[in-house]
Amino acid sequence: MTSIVAVQQVKKVYGKVHEEKTVALKNVNFQVETGEFIGIMGASGSGKSTLLNILSTIDRPTSGQVLINGYDITKLRGNKLSDFRAHQIGFIFQDFNLLEDLTVEENIALPLSLEEMSPKRIKALVTLISKKLSISSILKKYPAEISGGQKQRAAAARALITKPAILLGDEPTGSLDSSSARELLNTMTNLNQKDKISILLVTHDPVSASFCQRILFIKDGVIGKELRRNNLDRISFYHQILNEVESFES
Amino acid sequence: MVKKMTLKLALSGLKNHLKDYFILFSGLTISAAIFYMFQTLAANPLFLKSNTYLSSIVVIFNLGTFLLAIITFAYLNYANNFLISLRSRIYAMYLMLGAKSRKIAQLIFLETIVIGFLAILTGIVCGIILTQLISRLLIKQLDLSLIHYSPWNNQAILVTLIFFLFIFVFFALKNARKLVYTPILKLLNQEKTPVRAHKNPLLWGGEIIAGIVLLAIGYWALAHLDKLNVNGIFMAIITIVSGSYFVFDSLFLAIIQSLQHRPNFALKRLHSFTLGQLNFRLRDLTKLLAMISIMFALALGAITVGIGFHRDIATITNVCSDYDFILHDPSTRELDQVNNLKLTDTSVYHYKIASNKVYWLVDDFNLKPFNHVIPNGSFNPIKYSHVTGKQMLKDKNQWLSILQSYLGDTSTILPGGFLSKKEFETKTGKEHIINLYVLKNFMAEKNQIKPLVLADNKKIKLDVNRDSTQKYNMFFVINGMLSGFEFMGLFLGIAFLAMLASCLMFKILSGANNDMHRYQILKQIGARHQLLEYSIAQEIGTIFLLPALLGVVHVLFGLQMFKVTNLIYEPYKNLIIPIGIFLVLYAFYYLVTDFIYQKKVLRK
Ligand SMILES: Nc1ncnc2c1ncn2[C@@H]1O[C@H](COP(=O)(O)OP(=O)(O)O)[C@@H](O)[C@H]1O
Ligand SMILES: [Mg+2]
Repeated sequence: MTSIVAVQQVKKVYGKVHEEKTVALKNVNFQVETGEFIGIMGASGSGKSTLLNILSTIDRPTSGQVLINGYDITKLRGNKLSDFRAHQIGFIFQDFNLLEDLTVEENIALPLSLEEMSPKRIKALVTLISKKLSISSILKKYPAEISGGQKQRAAAARALITKPAILLGDEPTGSLDSSSARELLNTMTNLNQKDKISILLVTHDPVSASFCQRILFIKDGVIGKELRRNNLDRISFYHQILNEVESFES
Repeated sequence: MVKKMTLKLALSGLKNHLKDYFILFSGLTISAAIFYMFQTLAANPLFLKSNTYLSSIVVIFNLGTFLLAIITFAYLNYANNFLISLRSRIYAMYLMLGAKSRKIAQLIFLETIVIGFLAILTGIVCGIILTQLISRLLIKQLDLSLIHYSPWNNQAILVTLIFFLFIFVFFALKNARKLVYTPILKLLNQEKTPVRAHKNPLLWGGEIIAGIVLLAIGYWALAHLDKLNVNGIFMAIITIVSGSYFVFDSLFLAIIQSLQHRPNFALKRLHSFTLGQLNFRLRDLTKLLAMISIMFALALGAITVGIGFHRDIATITNVCSDYDFILHDPSTRELDQVNNLKLTDTSVYHYKIASNKVYWLVDDFNLKPFNHVIPNGSFNPIKYSHVTGKQMLKDKNQWLSILQSYLGDTSTILPGGFLSKKEFETKTGKEHIINLYVLKNFMAEKNQIKPLVLADNKKIKLDVNRDSTQKYNMFFVINGMLSGFEFMGLFLGIAFLAMLASCLMFKILSGANNDMHRYQILKQIGARHQLLEYSIAQEIGTIFLLPALLGVVHVLFGLQMFKVTNLIYEPYKNLIIPIGIFLVLYAFYYLVTDFIYQKKVLRK
C-alpha cells in the first residue's frame, strides 16, 4: 500500500515574536494509506483544527514536513498552492462554507469552472455527483433554502467533484442533528468503499469516529494512541472508542 | 472602572481599523472642505456682484448650495453607515458581556460627534488651503476673473460649521438610537442572507418598459424646454428619477440573470460567482445606483456646461468686434511690439480732425476694404462684408457713425465726411492714423496685446464697458460675466463627482467585512489570486459602470435643454473633453475603491 498523506515531525506554535506562545502541535507523525477512512480524535483544544488547517494548506506548520500525494505542501506558494487546492484536496467544514449567493448547483460547479472545463462536461459531472450524494432535487436552491444536512452534502459534492486525492473534514457533522449526521457518514463510508476515496476526519464525537477504519488520538499536540477497527461492527467499535476516550483523556 | 473600560473600548476599534478610520476621516474632511469652498463663493455677495453683471447669479449660487447640501447629506449618510459597520460588532460583543446599552449608546454618540467635529475642523483648514490653491491655479488657467475671492471667509466658516455640526448631531443620535433598539444578534451578524427575488415575469417586463418609457418622456421634456418652461423641468425630474430607478430595478437585473442562465458564459472561471454577487448586490443597491446615475448626470452636466461657458467666452468675443485689436496713432515702439505678433491682416486708415469734425481718407478704404461683421442672429458662422470706400459713399451717414465708434471718447467731435486724397491733403487740421489688426488667434495672443490695448484705452479715453470695437475690452466684459458660471459649473461638477463616487466607495467598503468570508472560501476551493483580483475588479467595475452609463445617456439627452433654450451655443461641441475629464476622475475613484476592497477581502 502506498501512503497518500505523510506527516513528519510537524510542530505548530501560535503567537508572533513578542506575543505569548501557544504550542498547538508538538510533534505529530502519521501516515494515511490510499483508500483509507481515517479519524483523528481529541478533546477540544487538543490541536485537531490546527492539524487539519495545516493539511488543507490554510495554515503552515512552524516546522516539519507534510506530503500529500507526493507534494510537499509546506513548500507550495502562489498559483502552485491554488492549483494544489483545486486538484489534490477537497474539504468540508463544520459550518459548510457554501457561497450564499450561488445556487447549490453553481456552488458544486465552481471548482470545475476554475479549470475552464466545457459547460457540457461540467453539467454532466454535477449531475453525477449530486445523484451520488442524493441532492439532485435541490440543485436550483440557494443554501439559505435547504437543511443543514443538505448543505453539508452539497459541500461534500463541491469538495469531491474535482476527484481530489483526499477528502478532509473538520467536524463535518458538528452542526447536524444526529440523523443527518448519520446519513452523511453513511454516504462517506459508501464513497470510501465504492469509489475508493481516501477520507480524513477530525472529530471529538465518538459516533462520527466509529465510522472510520482507523483512529488516531491526539492530546497535548502529539498523537498518543491508535485504534484499528479491523472487522469489528460499528457499534462494538463505538464502545471500544468510548472506553479509549475515557482512559486516554483522563 | 466603567470609564476606563469605555475608553479602552473606544480606542480598541481605532487601533484595529486604523486604515478604515483613515478612509472615513478623509472622506468626511473632503466633504467639509468642498462645502466650505463653495460657501466662500456663495457667501460672498461682494465677489458675486463684482464678477457678474447678472443679479440672478446669487440665486443660482443659492440653488447650488441647496443641491450641494442634499448630496452632502446623502454622502454623510453612507459614510455613517460605514462607521456603523466598523463598530457594531464590537459594541454588540460588549453588550453581550453585560455592558449597559445606555453607556454604549453614549459612547457611540460621543464617538460620532468627536470624529465629526475633528473632520469639520480639518475640512475647513483644508478648504482654506485648497481655496487659495484653486484661486491661484485654476483661475489663471482659465482666465477667470475672480475679484474679492478671499480664502478666509468668516461667514463661510460659520455656515459650514453649523451645517456639519447639525448633521453629525443628527447621525450621532441616530447611531445611539439604533444601537439601543437593534437586537444584539442582528448587530453581531449583519450579514444579510440573500433571498431569492420572486418577480412576476410579466410585471418585470412591464417594469423594464415603464422605465424606458419614463426616461424617454423625461428626455423629450428636456428637449422641449423652450415650450414647456418650468413644467418641463418638473416633468423631467419626476420621470427621469423614477425611470432610472425602474431601469436599475429591472433592466440591469434582467441582463445579469440572463447571463447567469447562459452556461457558456456563467460556467467560465469565476463568472458564476461574480454574477451571483452582482445579482444580490444590485437589488440591495437599486436606490443608490439610480441616485448616482442622476448625480452623475448632474455633475457631468455641470462640467460640460462649465466648459461650454468657457467656449462661449471665445465664441461671443469673436463675433462682437470687427477687428482683433486697434491702435490709435501708434508710436514706433508700439509698432515694434505689434511686429512680434502673429498677424493675418493689417489695415491703416487716415483721418483728420478739423473744427471738431472727423474726415476720413476714402482712398484708404478703396485700397483696403473695411471688415465688418454681419450680425445674423447666431454666433456661427461669422460672415464679413468687405466694404470699400465707394460702397461707403453710397451710405455715407451709416458708415461715418460706424467709423466714429472707433474713436473712443467722441463727446467733443462729430462725424464730418469722406475726402478724396486731394481734398484730404489740403484740409487743415490734425492728421491721425488708426491701425486695425486681425490676429491669427485672438484667444492665444490676448495676453500679449493686453498692455497695448490698455495704453490705447487710456489714450482715447475709452469707456471700456460700452465699447465693442476693441475686442479685448469685450473679452474682459464677457469673461467677467460668464466665468462665474464657468467656475461654478466646474466646481460643482467636480465636487459632486467626488461625493457620488465616495458614496459608492463607502457603500462597497461597508460590505467588505461580510464578503471577506466568501473570498476565503474561493481561495480554499483553489481559485488563483489573480482570478480573485480579476473577479473583484469586474464586480466593482460593473457597479461603477452601470450608473455611469445611464448618467452619460442622461447627459447626452439632457444637453438638448441648453440647445433649445439657447443658454449655451453648441452644447454638444467637443463633448468628448468634459466626458473624458469626468471619466478619468471617476475611474480614479473606481481604482481606489477596487484597491482598498481587495486589500480588505483578500487579506491573509
Ligand atoms: N490562531 C490561533 N492563535 C493562537 N492560538 C491558537 C490559534 N488557533 C488555535 N490556537 C490554540 O491552539 C490550541 C489548539 O486549537 P485547535 O487546533 O483549534 O483545537 P481543536 O480544534 O482540537 O479544538 C488551542 O490551545 C488554541 O487555543
Ligand atoms: Mg476545532
